[in-house]
Amino acid sequence: MIQFENVGFRYKRGPEVLQSVDLEIPAGSFQFITGESGAGKSSLLRLLYLDAMPSSGRISLFGRDVTTLTRDEIAWFRRRIGVVFQDFRLLDHLSAAENVALPLTVAGAREAAYRDNVTEMLQWVGLGDKMEVRPPELSGGEKQRVAIARAVVASPDIILADEPTGSVDPAMAERIMALFVEMNRLGKTVLFASHDLAMIEQYKLPITTLRGGTVASGMGAAA
Amino acid sequence: MSAIRSKGALIPFQAASGGLMLLIVAAMAFLACFALAGALATTRIASTWTEGLAGAATVRIDANEDDRARRTSLVLDILRDTEGITDARALNERDVADLLTPWFGGIPDLGELPAPGIVAVTLDAENEPDPTVVQARLDGAGAGAIYDDHGRWRGKAAKAARAIGNLSWWALGLTALAIAASVFLVISIAMVAHKGTIEALRLAGAEDRFVANLYQKRFFWVGALGGLIGSGLALAAFVGLDALSSVRAALPMLDAPYYWPFAWLGIILTCALVALLAARLAVLATLRRRG
Ligand SMILES: Nc1ncnc2c1ncn2[C@@H]1O[C@H](COP(=O)(O)OP(=O)(O)O)[C@@H](O)[C@H]1O
Ligand SMILES: [Mg+2]
Repeated sequence: MIQFENVGFRYKRGPEVLQSVDLEIPAGSFQFITGESGAGKSSLLRLLYLDAMPSSGRISLFGRDVTTLTRDEIAWFRRRIGVVFQDFRLLDHLSAAENVALPLTVAGAREAAYRDNVTEMLQWVGLGDKMEVRPPELSGGEKQRVAIARAVVASPDIILADEPTGSVDPAMAERIMALFVEMNRLGKTVLFASHDLAMIEQYKLPITTLRGGTVASGMGAAA
Repeated sequence: MSAIRSKGALIPFQAASGGLMLLIVAAMAFLACFALAGALATTRIASTWTEGLAGAATVRIDANEDDRARRTSLVLDILRDTEGITDARALNERDVADLLTPWFGGIPDLGELPAPGIVAVTLDAENEPDPTVVQARLDGAGAGAIYDDHGRWRGKAAKAARAIGNLSWWALGLTALAIAASVFLVISIAMVAHKGTIEALRLAGAEDRFVANLYQKRFFWVGALGGLIGSGLALAAFVGLDALSSVRAALPMLDAPYYWPFAWLGIILTCALVALLAARLAVLATLRRRG
């Protein structure tokens, strides 16, 4: 499903922030990505949601070399990938419900068809009473949960989460983790990036560690 | 749950830029109406002049009133005897006034002008006589008359009218181009302000055409409304301003009044479509450039 072969990545003419990364993530798996701040976790996820292309090496996604995708194909691939961004990226002029509905709206779905789905999603993240509230009036943790609801509402095949527990207290972090584990049980491939090793180690799930842009341990680590 | 917002509001358009765009389109539509009227009127005037004057000639006899009758009959004799001329007829004052009507756009008052003796000549369209030969025959008889088949004037006037007509069509094209260019500019600026929103839409899986649709839908309506306002004002000026009565009289729609609503609708639709197309191209170009 996701395959990295000797992938290198740099921002414009900057230094390589990822070097010779080899990864193979089978469909339906749950994978933590950890590493210190600046290790390259967000950059790796960015390559996966096709916001950037590798500078070297090859990334294969859903069986396609990502560099061969057209702009339309990139859009269609993104509909199969739900992303929880580290900085949420919610639209401040839309309500929580409208933000959650975004992946459905851009895919051309009619409101009547997804209204119940969106309501259910927001209730699932415990925000059933905040549907009409706009992001500027939500707390950090609430924004994070809206972002999570948006990432999963269109039932994507892959869920990428970048520090999704970064803005919440431990109790809420546990609830959010439970949400991702549940999504994984429903068959979704989950990539969960977090620098909080102590938190993720409790879950007994595969962990890949990045250090200075290379895979230091876990899947694809140099032997 | 109350309604989840419809597509139109996905992008937070600024009322100010919409108002500015409306003003530009309305001004351009106003100008376009006059350019269009100019184009239609001059094209028609050119053809009236050439068609109306073909197959006919006039002879002007400059003489005082005593001598005019004698010379006129002399001229008539010569003309009727010339090959290629089917008829020659002296005009009375009423006829002269009628003849000048199309040139003045109304019935001229000839009271103050010295009406020369004029002979209307009908030419055999298949076999028009050489004007120099006719003139020579008149001169030979000492008729003191000037033969004019309007050829020179006809050609020059028609050429001038056509040139003005062509310029009007160019002016019309330029106003459309100016609308397109302003839409392009306004959208380029708006898309900088909307950068984060557009990126969020793209990351959620929106294709370029989805983003383009959001803009083009809005600019279609801005174009239509601007077109309606601008052309409405122009139409009111046409109908209301007495000074424009001769332009009005020269418009071909006058023969078929049911054209007017179509012409009006045409201008509004053109404004809307030009704005829509320019918006679409501007959005797609900007998105591609951003990569
Ligand atoms: N947009 C960017 N432009 C240039 N450099 C960047 C950008 N984003 C991240 N970087 C750099 O890439 C490296 C990896 O960053 P990042 O992927 O965000 O790491 P992490 O998510 O593990 O903290 C860092 O050195 C960071 O400074
Ligand atoms: Mg990061």
